[in-house]
Amino acid sequence: MIKSIEKEISLDRRAFIKKVLGGTIAGSLLLVIPAGAMELEHIPEQIPGMRKEIGPFITGKKFAFIVDITRCIGCGSCCVADKNEYQVPDGNYRTWVERYVIDDKDNVYVDSPNGGLDGYQKPRKDLPYPVRDTFFVPKLCNMCEHPSCVQVCPVGATFQTDDGFVLIDDKRCVGCGYCVQACPYSVRFINPKTHTADKCTWCYHRVRKGLLPACVNVCPVQARKFGDLNDHESEVYKILHQPHVVSVLKPDMGNKPSLHYVGLRREVV
Amino acid sequence: MSPEHGAAVATALTNFVFPNDLHVHWSLMIVLYPYITGIVAGAFIVSSLYHVFHIESLKPVSRYALIFALAFLAFATAPLLIHLGHPERAMNMMLTPSPTSAMAGFGYIYSAYAVVLILEILFIYRPTLVALKQKSTGGMKFLYYLLTLGSDNLSPEALRVDHKITAFLAAIGIPMACTLHGYVGFIFGGVKANPMWATPLMPVIFLLSASVSGIAGIIFSYVLIKRYTGKSIDMDCIRTLIKFLWGCFILDFVFEMLELFSHAYMATHHWEALRDLYVGPLYWSFIVAQVGIFSVIPFIGLGILSLVKLSDKIVMKWGTILSFMILVQVLLMRWNVVIGGQLMSKSERGHAVFHPGWFTKEGIIVSIIIMILPIALLWLLSKVFPFWLDDDPAVERQSA
Amino acid sequence: MPEYKSKSYSHIIKIVLILIIVAVAGVYVRAKVLPGSFGEFGHYRGDAVKDEINRPLRNGTNASCLVCHPYIREMHLKGVHHTVSCEFCHGPVADHVKDGKVIARLPKKQGRDIKILCLRCHNQIIRARPKESIKMISMPQHLKEKHVRTDHICNQCHNVHAPLMWVKQARAMVGVEEDSK
Repeated sequence: MIKSIEKEISLDRRAFIKKVLGGTIAGSLLLVIPAGAMELEHIPEQIPGMRKEIGPFITGKKFAFIVDITRCIGCGSCCVADKNEYQVPDGNYRTWVERYVIDDKDNVYVDSPNGGLDGYQKPRKDLPYPVRDTFFVPKLCNMCEHPSCVQVCPVGATFQTDDGFVLIDDKRCVGCGYCVQACPYSVRFINPKTHTADKCTWCYHRVRKGLLPACVNVCPVQARKFGDLNDHESEVYKILHQPHVVSVLKPDMGNKPSLHYVGLRREVV
Repeated sequence: MSPEHGAAVATALTNFVFPNDLHVHWSLMIVLYPYITGIVAGAFIVSSLYHVFHIESLKPVSRYALIFALAFLAFATAPLLIHLGHPERAMNMMLTPSPTSAMAGFGYIYSAYAVVLILEILFIYRPTLVALKQKSTGGMKFLYYLLTLGSDNLSPEALRVDHKITAFLAAIGIPMACTLHGYVGFIFGGVKANPMWATPLMPVIFLLSASVSGIAGIIFSYVLIKRYTGKSIDMDCIRTLIKFLWGCFILDFVFEMLELFSHAYMATHHWEALRDLYVGPLYWSFIVAQVGIFSVIPFIGLGILSLVKLSDKIVMKWGTILSFMILVQVLLMRWNVVIGGQLMSKSERGHAVFHPGWFTKEGIIVSIIIMILPIALLWLLSKVFPFWLDDDPAVERQSA
Repeated sequence: MPEYKSKSYSHIIKIVLILIIVAVAGVYVRAKVLPGSFGEFGHYRGDAVKDEINRPLRNGTNASCLVCHPYIREMHLKGVHHTVSCEFCHGPVADHVKDGKVIARLPKKQGRDIKILCLRCHNQIIRARPKESIKMISMPQHLKEKHVRTDHICNQCHNVHAPLMWVKQARAMVGVEEDSK
């Protein structure tokens, strides 16, 4: 009996509730309905095995983030999801999407109105020469192996976890802004609400709950990929270990980003 | 369309600033912070020139320079605290200084320097303070009691040890003053992500400009205070100070230009963006003001004052004016480094704009107040520590 | 030779004592105020990792929405928009459900806002989009080609969850096999 009810719930929760309320199923069985759609049992794990990881850090997995700029359509879903997830104050960006336009004379024009949050509704009309090439480049934390921000933080408020994520302790951050200056990728800002440093975390809280980063989850064209490099069947492993055009931003900075770009053009900084 | 015009169009069009770079995070407060610490370090060096290197002609300002340094040192952290997002957590810098951070050492370097400076003052002034304690009554007597640590012993034995300690403190004070300000330069010079800051010359330039601003501050304030109180000015001292100011400024200006020149000559991929910055948003504050007016004129003027035999009146008048210009030059240099460095986006495709607000938390009014506070404190300190040997009861007693 | 009340070195001894007291007090205060988990894993507060893990989720996944919206699920998962996030158009699930209860309705785009939303992805004039990945259209040419009024909103022909559903149904009804262009 219980099994069949559970099956029914898993099939269609709302219809099930209607049936319960309508008296089709005995009222006492309401107890078996789990509370909260946001409770994790309703959301299947997107990263297999993560919910078994209950230690202080993730073990046995090495995460990488790949942005495929040959796929990005510049819709800004990622920016919207990110702003919603973290309620990022206006004018600050944990992630953003840039539009590159290259003309016949090899001039490079870049724009990112409101960080791409509102999408790109209009083409650039202010260019003097015909356009040769144009593409979108999403940006986010590079999650460096040698992060400048961690190096310069005077109080140990930004740190690199054993599982390779660079996080911020907003209870210890003094808001000096040194990390903002030190980040070669300008992914950091001082959050005007908390007055502490803030940046993309690759959604560490989601990852630890077995969910993909919010931006990866919403990308309609799989331009953002997130996965485990120790899993040789994962898409990120395959991309990084097969002959693709893959690069990182500002490699000469020596920060060794874990954020990789597929199809990165030389014009991109 | 002329080629120049085309280039201008391209520059305007390509102007792309990373979205998070539109905001200048380090503003006026961080301009003032190296300015004030620079004045502290420079003034201490003036005092050390007498106390360690025995340049006798600087004796008239040797004690004043220490009090001057203390007055500014007391407010060196004020702009930092105003700037911090969480000033109540400032002590985290002392509690958990990160060994890898260039900034983390500031708390300890600053505190150690403050201890050395205060001890130096207490030891040098001890005979004076003991004499003043005997003269004064009430609250002042208690203050002098605290400052002399309850000791009235001026025996030759005690003074001999005091003198040894003073010399030692002054001697370690010089490397510490250099460390303090060279280090402030390194806070900027060590930021590899910012091509304008990231140069090994940065600590050198900061140190030299610190010396320059300290010496200029001493000349300027010495003449003004003496004038205002109607006391005689020691021209030998002024002339020596001007020579030192010129010497330091030659090095300072040369290194500042050398930095620009090496950027231009090596012309790495950063240069295009840097050039756009210097001829763009920094044109007026750097090329015209800092270099054109406030460096070239004092550079030549101080040279003339040092080399040509001129009347006391001219030396005093122009020495004061040129010292003030140097003080402005150093402030402009701080502005152009701190603000200028941030105006260039890390996209290296454009620059942000920055206009300081008048009434904002880190605005112009607050900056003016912060620059007035050390001067107010200096006035207060003058009531406790006599600046000049003529006003010193201990000196009177010794000569009598 | 005047008589002095204090000894020659008394002030020096006092200064040394004051410095020692300050240093000891500093060490003591540091031990008192430092968070217990500081240094547990490195030069940072170990509990900061837990704090970050416990940050509340605001976005769910499509699964978290579709569990309660079976009719939408039916359409959404079958259509070409199955990769589009529910929360992209409607907002984060945390604004809608809390502790198992509906706390507010999420907004549904209406009228011209729908068109703006559709064109975020499908606007051909934004050349930066890789053409092969999704269908691109030009406005108002698309409406002209389809012989409808140019003030039409996209969702008058296209179900936003399954854009080709009605189109296919209409074609099936009239028996027209139109090329998909």
